[in-house]
Amino acid sequence: MGGKTLGRLERLPVRSIVLIALSAGVLVAVAYGSYKTLTLPAGERYSASAWRDFIVLGVAQGAVYALIALGYTLVYGILRMINFAHGEVFMAGAFGSYFFADAWSKSGFMNEQPWLSIVLLVLIAMIVSVAVAVLLERIAYRPLRGAPRLVPLITAIGASLFLQNTFRGLFGSQTRGYPKPTMLEGTWTILGIPVQKVQVLVLVVAAVAMVALTLFVARTKTGKSMRASAEDQEIASLMGINVDRVIVTTFIIGGMLAGIAGVLFALTFGNISYFMGFAPGITAFTAAVLGGIGSIAGAAIGGLMIGVLQSVGPALLLTGANVPSPFQLKDVVTFAILILVLIFRPGGILGTGDAEKV
Amino acid sequence: MTPLLEVVGITKHFGGLYALAGLDLHVDEGEIVSVIGPNGAGKSTLFNVVTGLYEPDEGEVRFQAESIVGFRPNQITKLGVARTFQNVHLFPNMTVLENAMVGQHCRTRSGVFGAIFQTPSTRREEQLIRERAKAALGFFGPRLTGYRQEQPAFVLSYANRRRLEMARALATDPKLILLDEPTAGMNPRETLELRDHIVRMRDELGLTVLVIEHDMRVVKGVSDRVIACDYGRKIAEGTYEEVATDPQVIEAYLGTKAAG
Amino acid sequence: MRRRSEVRASISPGVRAGLIGGIALVYLAMVGMIEAFDDLLLIGEQVTLGLVLLAAPPFAAAFLAVRPRVVGGRVERPAPLSGLVIGVIAGGISGAVIAAWLLIVEAIGVERVRSVFVAVSPQLIEILTFGQGVAVGTLILLLGGMALGALGGVWRTLRHGLRLPLSVAVGAVLLMGLLQRIAPTILDELSVERDWLYSKVTFGLTWLGAVAVFVVTASVTAFVIDRRERAEARPPEAGTPQGRRATRTVLLLALALGLIVLPQLAGTIVSEILGSVGVYVLLALGLNIVTGYAGMLHLGFGAFFLIGAYSAALLTGANLVTAFGLVAPEFSAHLNFYVALPIVIAIGAVVGALLAAPVLRLRGDYLAIVTLAFGQIAAILVTSNWLQPITGGPQGLRDVTDAGLSGLSFRDPQDFYYLALAFCALAAYVSWRLASARTGRAWNAMREDEQVADAMGVNTPRYKLLAFAIGGAIGSVGGALFAVKVGTVQPGSFEILVSITTLAIVILGGLGSVPGVVVGALVLIGLPGLLSQFEEYRLLIYGGVLVAIMILRPQGLIPNVRRSRELQEDERTQDAWQQIFGEPEAEQEPAAEEAR
Repeated sequence: MGGKTLGRLERLPVRSIVLIALSAGVLVAVAYGSYKTLTLPAGERYSASAWRDFIVLGVAQGAVYALIALGYTLVYGILRMINFAHGEVFMAGAFGSYFFADAWSKSGFMNEQPWLSIVLLVLIAMIVSVAVAVLLERIAYRPLRGAPRLVPLITAIGASLFLQNTFRGLFGSQTRGYPKPTMLEGTWTILGIPVQKVQVLVLVVAAVAMVALTLFVARTKTGKSMRASAEDQEIASLMGINVDRVIVTTFIIGGMLAGIAGVLFALTFGNISYFMGFAPGITAFTAAVLGGIGSIAGAAIGGLMIGVLQSVGPALLLTGANVPSPFQLKDVVTFAILILVLIFRPGGILGTGDAEKV
Repeated sequence: MTPLLEVVGITKHFGGLYALAGLDLHVDEGEIVSVIGPNGAGKSTLFNVVTGLYEPDEGEVRFQAESIVGFRPNQITKLGVARTFQNVHLFPNMTVLENAMVGQHCRTRSGVFGAIFQTPSTRREEQLIRERAKAALGFFGPRLTGYRQEQPAFVLSYANRRRLEMARALATDPKLILLDEPTAGMNPRETLELRDHIVRMRDELGLTVLVIEHDMRVVKGVSDRVIACDYGRKIAEGTYEEVATDPQVIEAYLGTKAAG
Repeated sequence: MRRRSEVRASISPGVRAGLIGGIALVYLAMVGMIEAFDDLLLIGEQVTLGLVLLAAPPFAAAFLAVRPRVVGGRVERPAPLSGLVIGVIAGGISGAVIAAWLLIVEAIGVERVRSVFVAVSPQLIEILTFGQGVAVGTLILLLGGMALGALGGVWRTLRHGLRLPLSVAVGAVLLMGLLQRIAPTILDELSVERDWLYSKVTFGLTWLGAVAVFVVTASVTAFVIDRRERAEARPPEAGTPQGRRATRTVLLLALALGLIVLPQLAGTIVSEILGSVGVYVLLALGLNIVTGYAGMLHLGFGAFFLIGAYSAALLTGANLVTAFGLVAPEFSAHLNFYVALPIVIAIGAVVGALLAAPVLRLRGDYLAIVTLAFGQIAAILVTSNWLQPITGGPQGLRDVTDAGLSGLSFRDPQDFYYLALAFCALAAYVSWRLASARTGRAWNAMREDEQVADAMGVNTPRYKLLAFAIGGAIGSVGGALFAVKVGTVQPGSFEILVSITTLAIVILGGLGSVPGVVVGALVLIGLPGLLSQFEEYRLLIYGGVLVAIMILRPQGLIPNVRRSRELQEDERTQDAWQQIFGEPEAEQEPAAEEAR
């Protein structure tokens, strides 16, 4: 009966070598690019105010991403599944509110009562998003509760496709302009930094939402049930927690936040389309992973970081390296971050250092 | 004479829970050693550490005098350590024969080129794999032979699933085989039959066997040595009679009153 | 006489199904499918695909609402009367829902609704009311729903031997109707009289033809079922191994012959479509190795399509399309296509392995997301201005070789079909060989239980890499062929589309099944290619299909797992079989031994 000894080649820690090479490569690339950008001759260099604008934009974007990321992280915490269709929940809210926004803009209501309009739009968006989220859970995810992990993921992809194209079929494929109350046009100067009024709104609303969520999860009974179910579903149900109800609540909350994000996004960028959920969806997922998937604070931190990195990154890393039109590649930056986080620290910033293996 | 397997002071904890807390044991070539102990004593964790599924936090594991800590499970299997699992882990949608053939994977080499072009060496090797797999299946008598070998593994009865898992482990041509509660869930007749199989593994196949068992009839009938564990460390060692009457062992199983 | 609560209990599934059916009808109307599909005449001048779509939900609702009874501990077919009643209720409610919707739309005003829901048009209302105006139309919807529901309910109560032939026959009529662009052309080429079958005016089936197809299919199916049932009364191994192998070889030869002759018979358009199907079959075979055999979900497979297309184009001397005209790219060669192809394959394999290497230890769903990220990165880079000197940016490359071979140009659809067919056959052969070899076994073991496969001696990281490399290589060939077919390489934003389409094909067909991949490609690429109505709703259908398959039948249409009726029974029953019927080579356990 024979075992054999292992050859020298087999014992090489190949994985460690590859990882070290990879991290070295990334560090070199980042250092090189940044150095080159910051040492550009004065005419081509970005001014300080340019950088400032990048950062402000990044933070505002990041706030929106954080709101969407919370949806991903909450669902993942309880169901251990990636709700790939969450981007479409976000899109649905934006779309749902659009028709009212359009009507009110045309009728003048929006400019007569800007605050009321915005509040109503947010409410409408929340309702639509929540409806989509709950339908998703009931129809596509609940039947697959016990299935091996890849099955709900594929279902989520299918649901995402289905929702996108449903909206396309219902409302048409053209991009529509999302109106903005005139009150929100222009910039304020806060602490010497010019910030667009829309961006201020985004930051304020997002902050309020996140604080509310944190309080909800920490203090209320439902929040406690959510945390318990996230830790261990089986034991939670033995303790008398209605896990089904908790799961639906999670989707509802995620939907509400996505709806808010939808309106904020539409106000910031000024347009909506059936396809608008895809890129923000993946970006927000990256944010959730970066911050530590399953952690609420992680989603918030991750969102802000990704927002800023997306905004500052291409400019900083690529302009110096003579890459034309660096902002085309902003999603490349995001995806690269996603890949690197998953390779080196899948638990994210706030997670444990351990990779959760198969 | 160096032991075939040496485990020195291994510690393994998960969060605050210490599954193994300084466990020592050794197995000499040709022995059948049983590991007994109450549930949660760390026995399956021991197997997982030895076979490379976990890395120990402290301590040393040596196979054939060479440290195997940090090796991947497939490397350890290639060195000659095979195992079965406490809950049967077959490949349910593969046929019975294919399950056993997977065991021969680490002893063979043919790859993509050979498969596509059907080179003579590949075909010979494939033939060899089939024969050895069938031999391993045949170890348990006529049950896993004949038309049964082409059936998917999920149709098997419980006892046959356990046998298939053992046959698969045998098919890896091991020197040391680790059996994790092989008779769990079997009826008395099957248990006794399995007891004989374990002895045959040593006598006919020349294997060294390390068995986790709860059924004392089996332990008594096969063991050259028995090791008792509790709370992640060894509490007694010796022949069956010695260990069975050891007060610490009795206390671990039955509580202080019974020991007293 | 049954109690009130019993009656209610048996009716409520009907109500629920009816409501769901009604919602489905409203959805189909509002999303525009009914109107779009109404262009296609299936039978005569009356039955359009839109009509079929309209009829399906009430029928299906009724069918699914009728449940088998449990009588005295045995499951029995439901009584025809209860089937009728529940069916009428379900269908009626479906009809009522869409009728109510119609009334609401009329009340609000079609044009006003249309300002939001673009698909709600006067034409749609025409269709839904059957041209009879709202009042009569509502009535038709209601009564029609009830009738279809009755039919569906009763259908459920039919015995299997009767229902299956009828169902297959209906499916066959539908299929023949959908194939109205191929079948008549083939029949014409074969000089077969076909005006009785397909109308020259409507392009669809004639009523005579429809009835003929129905009757023939029903009879054949009934015959086959009868034969099958008789065979099952005999022991499991029906037919000697040699006999079975002989039948299989004959079937394969017939299939091969059919495939070779097809483009000559079916015409240019069909050949063009089949060429696209062929490209996707190659892509899907590549993905099948990664996801089907090795069990790793890959969401960025479109990257290999891009890699194959661009590599092939650059290596064979394509030109960049710029604002100033055609320019040679920074790196290019002018190799013969067939010399370049091994290089393309090598690039695909290397890139596949490289992309996989850093992420091998990742868990399944994280691995999937990373592959998605890689795919997107590839797509963005290829379209970017940065790489424009090589890849042509958004405008892409032109003048890709036509892979000419001794006078044959493969730009012609019919010739390209053969090229694609050859490579598909090759890829299928490679897949088949790998699946039944040591490599395939290692992949299967890994897919079923990765940790245990490791414990059994399989070097899982290595085999994961191997799967990615081989899958990538095959996928790249698909991309290369596509570049040849179209002659230009333009990324658009279609990497994600290709990735998802390929995934849908593999999943629909059944993970790990080569014939399944072919069927999946035919359905998901061929059908939209043939019928522009499907093309419009392609992604919607893909999404729905993915969700439906995962919930209803995760193993796909033609599953890889070997199942036949006798295998689904467990060990005890099989041994009992052997006892009664005996088998020369089976070594059976005496029944007493296995008693448990």
